[in-house]
Amino acid sequence: MHTRVFVTGVGIISAIGNGTEETLSSLNGLRSGIGQLSLFESVHSNIPVAEVKYNNIQLSGMAGVDPTIDTYTRNTLLALVAAQQAVKSAGWHGSTSQRNGCIMATTVGGMDYNERYYKSLLEGKYRDLLSVLDSADSTEKVAAHFGIRHHVTTISTACSSSANAIMLGARLIRNNRLSRVLVGGTDSLTKFTLNGFYALEILSPTGCRPFDSNRNGLTIGEGAAMLVLESEETADPRRVLCEITGYANVNEAFHQTASSSDGTGALLAMTKALEKASITPEDIGYINAHGTGTEINDLSEGRAIDSLFGSRVPPISSTKGFTGHTLGAAGAVEGVISVLALKNQVAWPGLNQSESMPELSFTPLSTVTPGPIRHVLSNSFGFGGNNTSLIFSNL
Amino acid sequence: MKAYITSSGVISPQNTHDSSGFPAAVNTFTANRLTCTEPDYRGLINPIQLRRMPRIIKMGLAASHLCIQRAGGSSPDAIIIGTGLGCMDNLEKFLVEVIDTNEHITSVLPFINSTHNAVAAQVAMLLNNHGYNVTYCHRGFSFESALGDALMRIGEGEAQNVLVGGIDECTGDFVKLNGYHGAWKQPLINLELASTKTAGTIAGEGSAFFMLSDNPIHDNCIAVEGVHTFFIPQGAQFDEIAAETDNFLQQNNTGRDEIDIVLLGINGDIVSDAGYNNMMENFFIPGTGFAMYKHLCGEYYTSSSFALWLGSVILENQSIPGVTQVLPAAGRSFKKLLIYNHYRNTEHTLILLGYGGI
Repeated sequence: MHTRVFVTGVGIISAIGNGTEETLSSLNGLRSGIGQLSLFESVHSNIPVAEVKYNNIQLSGMAGVDPTIDTYTRNTLLALVAAQQAVKSAGWHGSTSQRNGCIMATTVGGMDYNERYYKSLLEGKYRDLLSVLDSADSTEKVAAHFGIRHHVTTISTACSSSANAIMLGARLIRNNRLSRVLVGGTDSLTKFTLNGFYALEILSPTGCRPFDSNRNGLTIGEGAAMLVLESEETADPRRVLCEITGYANVNEAFHQTASSSDGTGALLAMTKALEKASITPEDIGYINAHGTGTEINDLSEGRAIDSLFGSRVPPISSTKGFTGHTLGAAGAVEGVISVLALKNQVAWPGLNQSESMPELSFTPLSTVTPGPIRHVLSNSFGFGGNNTSLIFSNL
Repeated sequence: MKAYITSSGVISPQNTHDSSGFPAAVNTFTANRLTCTEPDYRGLINPIQLRRMPRIIKMGLAASHLCIQRAGGSSPDAIIIGTGLGCMDNLEKFLVEVIDTNEHITSVLPFINSTHNAVAAQVAMLLNNHGYNVTYCHRGFSFESALGDALMRIGEGEAQNVLVGGIDECTGDFVKLNGYHGAWKQPLINLELASTKTAGTIAGEGSAFFMLSDNPIHDNCIAVEGVHTFFIPQGAQFDEIAAETDNFLQQNNTGRDEIDIVLLGINGDIVSDAGYNNMMENFFIPGTGFAMYKHLCGEYYTSSSFALWLGSVILENQSIPGVTQVLPAAGRSFKKLLIYNHYRNTEHTLILLGYGGI
């Protein structure tokens, strides 16, 4: 008999605020976090981004880290802020029990430091910083902070990374390997990703408009989000926010950076997640779509949603118009937003929409829409055809 | 839950790619960096695709191809890869270009190829495989995380056959940057690595893939019986390592005295090796056999994937290749082999192998 997997704590920091209250307030007030680049100098400063509105010194203060210690990258600071919120809201104090784990995700790890120091590092300077550049550093610092010593690992599957971290955490609990696990993801805004997506010609010059016929690309964001998952036996019933009932990861095996126009991978991931949750498409009360705002993703994902839900597509939106695309953190950021949707029984619209896509049967939400919502479907898709769907459910 | 190794495909600094067995002759190097002996990729990968393909993707595609062919050619139900550095070479290339050109880059290809999951994605694309596809990037836990996930996929009944790989490519910048920390010894004969008693090790690399199955295909199939990882941020004390190992063995209903062979991650670094030496001297019963492997493949984040291959070869052949033997096993058949490795005394891992399918 499998145990149930409960979400007992959440933490989030993104362009629309620090913590769930600020996040909710921005979502309800339709306030986007997208704006002008200020974190670093760039020739692409005319391209809008979704920054967390704190510099690293401020983040150090929020994370409880001595700002004079330079071995905390922005990735790690964001992760520590979100993790502390999540653990606090779960009423947990951390412990070295073998039954606890920490599974995190990122795409570029300490790339902000790489960009600043790489040339100096190659000359043998700033030697202490070598150990903070990779994907594992944030995870180890978070795990060490809470005394977590087992099941510590990092997933990197591009933009589905943290959805896969949530899925792994849920599986470890479901299979009775763990009682409690801190899961999530972090990614800070970097020149590396800004230039990469710019060169791929998929950055929006105006700010992303997911599922709009006039969409013109994605907007890069940054942030971290963490969730505490607990087994039914371990969780304090008063702390339970919702349950993770479904998950699936598949590979589209179509193209390294693009999704297929018919959305084969997206359809397969959603279908398998529904099967795992033993529910039907009609049971879904809200879809928090991947919806990056690129020409290809939204068409591919939209067609998959059309084929799965037919004429009865539930309320749907992509919240990337608020947070931007937080890359490796996106699955967790949108996971937390899905939890908030269930708790508050409300679904939020996409922003900047004017005209629905003629290829699709559905129109995304245009206003803050009350439930009922029993199940939320959250999609996260990444480079390499990596497609993950998660289902968050009220008990 | 356990799973059986039904095939392997290994590219390493040794001649491991042309057969699954232990090579007849061992490659020796006078160096502090061991580089893979690579196969002729033209026989393994479409030559048109080979052009402009990053080396790590070639190493991943070729080793996985060999593994799948040896398992009978069927596409697996899941592809799970561990890589400590990911596609670091392309990441460095793109990073340096962004810096050097002040963001006026000329090619986006290194960015595309820098994604850590590029190898797993390319393997899936080549096989048109829609199964579960995950990449772990966590230093010395990368391969063990992948292996543990594979066992769980099989235990869940979600997969019958899982392709698991450990892959890392040694890059010039990685060697240089870690060199500033005294990570490497002066160039030496690799086979003398363990006897140096000095600080530092030798850099290595490799690509090792395995097909894990829920079903033993023959009576003397090697089983992966369990995987355990523990993270000790301040560096592990001997008693912590012993306690974790005891715990792990207990969970697998195995006593210390049932371990016939221990394969250790000895890397020649006097500090790093202290933990291995202590285990060898104080933990296991007299007569237990000990072997090592890093003098053959070098130190890298996913070196335990090379160890998994060597461990399975030792059990299969019921003998420890002389060049890897530290202490012989007192006359008995080998039923259980334990791999213990750690990366800089922080990420510690244990893999338990068993001989005999039933």
